[in-house]
Amino acid sequence: MEFHRLFQRRGAVSTEVRRQGSSPAVPKGLVRKCRFCKEAILAEDVRENHYICPKCGGYFRMHALRRIESVADRDSFVPWFEGMKCENPLGVEDYVQKVSALQEKTKLDEAITTGEARIEGRRVALGVMDCRFLMASMGEVVGEKLTGMIERATKEQLPVIVFACSGGARMQEGMVSLMQMAKTSAALKRHHEAGQLYISVLTDPTTGGVTASFAMLGDIILAEPKALIGFAGPRVIEQTIGQKLPKGFQRSEFLLEHGFIDAVVKREELRSKISMILKLHPMVTPKYAFPKEKKETDTKEAAKEKGQVSETDAVSRNKDKKKNGREYSAWERVLLSRKNDRPVGDDYIHALFEDFIEFHGDRYAKDDHAIIGGIARFHGVPVTVIAQVKGHNTKENIDRNFGMPSPDGYRKALRFMKEAQRFGRPIFCFVDTPGAFCGLEAEERGQGEAIARNLYEMSALTVPVLSIFIGEGGSGGALAMAVANEVWILNNAIYSILSPEGYASILWKDGKRAKEAAEIMKITAPELKELGVVDRVFPEPKDITVDNYAPLIQLLDRMMKKFLTKMSKLSGKELASARYERFRKF
Amino acid sequence: MIRKVLIANRGEIAVRIIRALREMDIASVAVYSTADKEALHTQLADEAICIGEMKANESYLNMERIISATLATGADAIHPGFGFLSENCKFAALCEQCNITFIGPGSSVMKAMGNKSVARETMVNADVPVIPGSQETVTNVRRAREIAKEVGYPVIIKAALGGGGKGMRVAYQENEFDAAFKTAKKESEMAFDDGQMYIEHFVEHPRHIEFQILADRYGNVIHLGERDCSVQRNHQKMIEESPSIALSEELRNAMGREAVKAAKAAHYENAGTIEFLLEPDGRFYFMEMNTRIQVEHPVTEAVTGIDLIKEQIKIAQGEKLSLKQEDIVLDGHAIECRINAENPEKNFCPCPGVINELYMPGGNGVRIDSAIYSGYEVTPFYDSMLAKVIVHGKTREEALHKMQSALGEVIIEGIDTNIDYQYEIVNDPVFCSGQFNVDFIEQFQERRCS
Repeated sequence: MEFHRLFQRRGAVSTEVRRQGSSPAVPKGLVRKCRFCKEAILAEDVRENHYICPKCGGYFRMHALRRIESVADRDSFVPWFEGMKCENPLGVEDYVQKVSALQEKTKLDEAITTGEARIEGRRVALGVMDCRFLMASMGEVVGEKLTGMIERATKEQLPVIVFACSGGARMQEGMVSLMQMAKTSAALKRHHEAGQLYISVLTDPTTGGVTASFAMLGDIILAEPKALIGFAGPRVIEQTIGQKLPKGFQRSEFLLEHGFIDAVVKREELRSKISMILKLHPMVTPKYAFPKEKKETDTKEAAKEKGQVSETDAVSRNKDKKKNGREYSAWERVLLSRKNDRPVGDDYIHALFEDFIEFHGDRYAKDDHAIIGGIARFHGVPVTVIAQVKGHNTKENIDRNFGMPSPDGYRKALRFMKEAQRFGRPIFCFVDTPGAFCGLEAEERGQGEAIARNLYEMSALTVPVLSIFIGEGGSGGALAMAVANEVWILNNAIYSILSPEGYASILWKDGKRAKEAAEIMKITAPELKELGVVDRVFPEPKDITVDNYAPLIQLLDRMMKKFLTKMSKLSGKELASARYERFRKF
Repeated sequence: MIRKVLIANRGEIAVRIIRALREMDIASVAVYSTADKEALHTQLADEAICIGEMKANESYLNMERIISATLATGADAIHPGFGFLSENCKFAALCEQCNITFIGPGSSVMKAMGNKSVARETMVNADVPVIPGSQETVTNVRRAREIAKEVGYPVIIKAALGGGGKGMRVAYQENEFDAAFKTAKKESEMAFDDGQMYIEHFVEHPRHIEFQILADRYGNVIHLGERDCSVQRNHQKMIEESPSIALSEELRNAMGREAVKAAKAAHYENAGTIEFLLEPDGRFYFMEMNTRIQVEHPVTEAVTGIDLIKEQIKIAQGEKLSLKQEDIVLDGHAIECRINAENPEKNFCPCPGVINELYMPGGNGVRIDSAIYSGYEVTPFYDSMLAKVIVHGKTREEALHKMQSALGEVIIEGIDTNIDYQYEIVNDPVFCSGQFNVDFIEQFQERRCS
């Protein structure tokens, strides 16, 4: 309706004449424009919102000192290696003047600020880059400050945390700049060899020689959302290959999917996340022996009263027998192990561990969703947890590739195991896979090699390894996570050389005879126990689901404590050799 | 002097303000969202400027855009109306920083009164009665019992971190206290992992009585009598009237004095409301201060003959109050009913849609404040209030009759409204008797269903 044409309106109102000096105006610095959504935003809101646009959520680049304030405990930062002089090795005109002008403007002495700080009380060496300073490019001073900081951290046994953000090498310093890549990487290698932790946090943008050196060398690599991270810049790539790059190319999430980043962490959560990671990497490797619980009989009685499954009880009584008291046949167990409401890997992780932080990626090609892993606490003790995971529904199953890992998954698992070894963390593996994925890409990236490498490396790990079969244990794909000190299995889980269908098809050229095959393959828990392939069989409630698996979890929890206590008596060498002998006997 | 005002609001209040500006020969600027291109306020104002998409966050709540619209149109003041940014102290501060006159209190006063504990403390220091209660939290039952005795039974025990009625118990007598405290504490520990409790006097069956005040920047404060807003559903007012039949002249003066004292203690400027809870025995307690013009302001305007919006503008441009307390006489009785696009039979669920037929009543002592017209589309993006019917009569009885007659005439077709429900209320014997409190709607609903 167009009332305004019908209404009697006032004539134009002149507001031209204004009192001098008191007319409405926006004071300078009150409002700024978001470079992402182009909206006007209040500078104060931006400051209060971790320098994230309150309207569109875009991340602004953070000044080094603001970053330190946001991550470190209040007033805890003490700078190291300040006042180094810029040498101008190429004699570039104006370079030195430019640097001093920037020093004046930014109140920083170089593109990186280094020093020590505390994060929730924990002392760390902290380096933060500031891209206002020649795009935070790495010249000699940046390299030297960083290397000095790492060396001192190694000596003082401090974790190193670096917030990277850089255009790469500093052109004004030519080859001297390039050498910084080697220098910083070498210092990190020594830090690594000394068993110390390095957390790299990638922020927008991290490119060029910085990506190709210290930024990508973290034990744990975190990234802020949507940060540009890459070696060659997107513009250069487009020009070279003459193609338009896909949306999201070289962003944090892209790198996460391609296996190079452990986690994308929102800025407001970075401090707490880093602090949690630090807490899971204590200064002194904690003991994982647990004091003996109440007398066995007491617990048994108590468990009985509460209606819990006591281990020996349940195994002997076979609570999960069919109604008529008959044992399940092998084929029935195969079907049970595949039932889609059976608890899956992450159900066990969340029930058995606390503070689980999931990390991603194999650092080569991909983050395989069929295997998840990370660090967590088991009764206070930092541990590494790795699980093959099926989905709870079709959508999840597609994402998890029905629990069939690709080579990237095995490489990710191995990476976590090596990290666990470095920091003395026991390793818990949950096995549940129809088998390693058989597909084109899996072969291209070396499925066989990946499985072999895991068997090879796992055999010599100097920390306790426990593998628990919770569903299907499909052949080499399962074994690649089961070269363990002990292998446990749930009563209706299976572990087999091949699926019964495959077995029947190879042996009898008839996949339909799977049922028959299952009966002769010796793949059920009791049979495997007899063969010595598994060390312990756990009873499971009838028709196990997450709604009724609590007694099983309690039992697992108790036995896992016992396992760790037992393993704590062995040295790293003894652990490896025990594992060697365990498999040598076959 | 203010010469051009931008109205940072929509609907009937925006129209109400535009009309007042017109009477004062001040230019008006409407802001509108893309959903409100056809809205009455958009069409009625001298100028209108679109400030964004239909979602309130992107338009009527977008401070930066409203400020920039103000600068772009050359307005020198902003009237925030009610709702939206009207009690946002950050917005008020932004106006101050940009040298735009905010028609309302200063940002710091707004901030203080917007903070429950600061407001309470201010009132305690000024000796304005507040609901007696513990200053700090307690965990010990013996100490808690002592506090309960001090504040006076009945008492309510509240979890410090509480919400949603969890960890809340009422004890009517001392012998019930220990059990109530322990249960509440246990509940709080279970729900919030915290056993810190507050003890407060439990105000039983109170009336919601609020006092309209006007304050200029020279420290002159007057009150314009009370409004009884006890007819409310889930704290949403439905019918308001002035004066309240629960107040004797003596009590009115006493409460009015406290309201003025409260406004002075807050260093308040402009129009505001002091809300009290009034117990059946005449004890009353400060509840909170509303630092804006209110929906129900027309009932006060009816009985006092004062245009509150105009007073707001005059105060904002630095004028002294021209009225003294003794000039304020409450003449007759006024009642307001809010007409909402909602279906009372479906739990008051909002009903957007197109109004295809509309007839509004009129006549002596009947005022309609509204922004709807025939063909108007009620969108789901904003508040569902369509209109306010305000009647003014010599007595409450006359006002009631006028309201019954007026509501009987209202026709709004095309969408569901609460007119019939309101019509039932104003014909309800309990409502007509005036003997009710904040529990009225709950009891009315029960009577209706049985």
